[in-house]
Amino acid sequence: MAEGGYGTARPARPPAGEGSDAAATVWMPRRDWLARVTWWGFLGSLVAMSGASLRMMFPRVTFDPPATFRAGRPEEYAVGTVSERWKKRHRVWVVRTAEGFFALSAKCTHLGCTPNWIETEGKFKCPCHGSGFDPSGVNFEGPAPRPLERFRIALAEDGQLLVDRSRSFRQEAGEWDRPEAFLPFAG
Amino acid sequence: MSLLRPSVVWTRVKASAAWRSLFRHGYEDTRRNRLLQTASNVFLHLHPTTTPASGLRFSYTWGLGGLSLLLFVVLTLTGVLLMFYYVPDTRRAFDDMKDIEHVVPFGQFLRNLHRWAAHAMVITVWLHMLRVFLTSSYKPPREFNWGVGVALLVFTLLLSFSGYLLPWDQIAFWAITVGTNMATATPLLGAEGPFSLVTYDNDIRFLILGSRFVGQSALLRFYVLHCLALPLAAAVLMAVHFWRVRKDKFSAKAAPPSSSVAAEATAESPVAAGPAVAGNASPARDRAAPASRGVDVWPHLVAIEFLAMLVALVALQAWSMWVDAPLEEVASPTNTPNPAKAPWYFLGLQEMLVYFDPWIAGVVLPALIIVGLILLPYLDSNPAGVGVYTLRRRRYAGSVFLIGFFLWVGFILVGQFFRGPGWIWYWPWESWEVHKPVYEKTWNFPWPVGLAAIVGYVALGLHLPRRLRPAVFGTISWGRYATLMLLVLGMLALPIKMVLRLAFDVHYVLVTPWFRI
Repeated sequence: MAEGGYGTARPARPPAGEGSDAAATVWMPRRDWLARVTWWGFLGSLVAMSGASLRMMFPRVTFDPPATFRAGRPEEYAVGTVSERWKKRHRVWVVRTAEGFFALSAKCTHLGCTPNWIETEGKFKCPCHGSGFDPSGVNFEGPAPRPLERFRIALAEDGQLLVDRSRSFRQEAGEWDRPEAFLPFAG
Repeated sequence: MSLLRPSVVWTRVKASAAWRSLFRHGYEDTRRNRLLQTASNVFLHLHPTTTPASGLRFSYTWGLGGLSLLLFVVLTLTGVLLMFYYVPDTRRAFDDMKDIEHVVPFGQFLRNLHRWAAHAMVITVWLHMLRVFLTSSYKPPREFNWGVGVALLVFTLLLSFSGYLLPWDQIAFWAITVGTNMATATPLLGAEGPFSLVTYDNDIRFLILGSRFVGQSALLRFYVLHCLALPLAAAVLMAVHFWRVRKDKFSAKAAPPSSSVAAEATAESPVAAGPAVAGNASPARDRAAPASRGVDVWPHLVAIEFLAMLVALVALQAWSMWVDAPLEEVASPTNTPNPAKAPWYFLGLQEMLVYFDPWIAGVVLPALIIVGLILLPYLDSNPAGVGVYTLRRRRYAGSVFLIGFFLWVGFILVGQFFRGPGWIWYWPWESWEVHKPVYEKTWNFPWPVGLAAIVGYVALGLHLPRRLRPAVFGTISWGRYATLMLLVLGMLALPIKMVLRLAFDVHYVLVTPWFRI
């Protein structure tokens, strides 16, 4: 509680003992104190209630589809192709280069539409605002601010490709060089 | 025997306590009854009992505020009916829509009414705002109510936007996906915005969707917002809005004497007649109140409102019998329709996204528009023109507002009629089947040049108007002047950036590691 200011403007509560040593302590009148405590309590409860209501809107658990999936055997993919096999179900392109595999997120970095792979022009093109990405996922036209993201890709124990959409790698952060972002394969 | 004569029964019914409690005053055309008609009815008493004849002119209000309320009522009633057949569950929402269209009796018609009334309400609310601006009806003492009106405009758009997801078809899913992804670009509070403080799991989009994706929780949230939270909030604001309209007095200036109602009001001038005295006067004599007091709301205003309501309802129902509300294929998260267009009233935003990054086009500029509109009555200190249509005496306010209004309308027209697949420019007569490859080679200003350009733009924009037109801009305080100029500069940045992009292929004026403009 703030000190000072009360003793002069309003009559202070008469000190209990004799005047000399008690004069240093200036008491707030009891009514003022009660009013102040009540107001702060009221405002505090409003803030707490708003905070609780806001926090309630952020669920601890969401029921989204599982993040990982098996994408078949590496030999099923031809070198130099962009596979649309998993796009419909998992929103991922599996791209096979001469050196290996990477999994490209089919989610435009502009506003989250699903781009289309245009085979004849060799690029990904977003239908919403016209962003274009080259086969490696780097943006080269339109409003997209950064390249498409890549997902973690690995070989599962059963020899299938394993794509993990919960772990993404951004080119502009230099993350595409990380080992999990690219699966070397020369089959 | 005589007790059963109709006239006797009728007299006894009218004398009964039940009758007198339902119909609390007589229907004889007396001034007292006219006033009671307005004052003793909870719905009609939103009106004052008398109003200046000038406020009745249809060419003054165009009935736009009343039409907006009517459409809100239509939307509430049809919305409640639709709720009986719709479950906000992603597994069946779309099927429920199909049922409403093909199985439920009059389902398609009621859905059409709901959809077209929603579109019409966006239009009437916009035009109402334009009308209130043109007649300077936001100037003191009506600044507060203008702000309430802007809030109602925002609620109208939010109601439309939240309703857009519910059919769970392709356009619903993708319009909401794009719309909420813009929230991700919010500075500080969006996961991809400049100076972000949050992650994808606790940013604004997550708050709106209840998840990182548009899914079941998003559908439920939008349903609750659309059917409950937003209409309630809008209804409360409407009550405030109408009450303030009445308390602030109607803005219309006296009508020219050619108006028939005004003529009626001025032709007769009974001696100052209080309700009690007038109640005994002959009906012919108290047809209208003295001109200074205006005309009686019942019947003069209520009759106009009733007529406008009938015409609007007939038009809406005819349109709803003729044109079906669109329903596309069921929502598919992996297949974006091309082009994926927002609802038409948000196409202006979508077109702005071509020229600016989402944090500007989707967050900063809309926020500036809303703030600028609310601040308008405080920034425009020119008292001229209240209650009449005039732009001559308020050139600056008029041009700024109209430039903004028509920029918005123009962007919507461009987005609706001139954008095809890939958001590429297609003339209305061109087929979307013709593939248009675009090889735009854009470039950015080097950052020192860009920084100098932006600083120079703001500095000149703040300096020149006061220098060149001291009579207009020199009289207002610096804080007010600076706020006004920053808002105007923000608005003009849009066409400037358009020209830079379309004519000179400039992508960004200023590129920094944190944000790009």
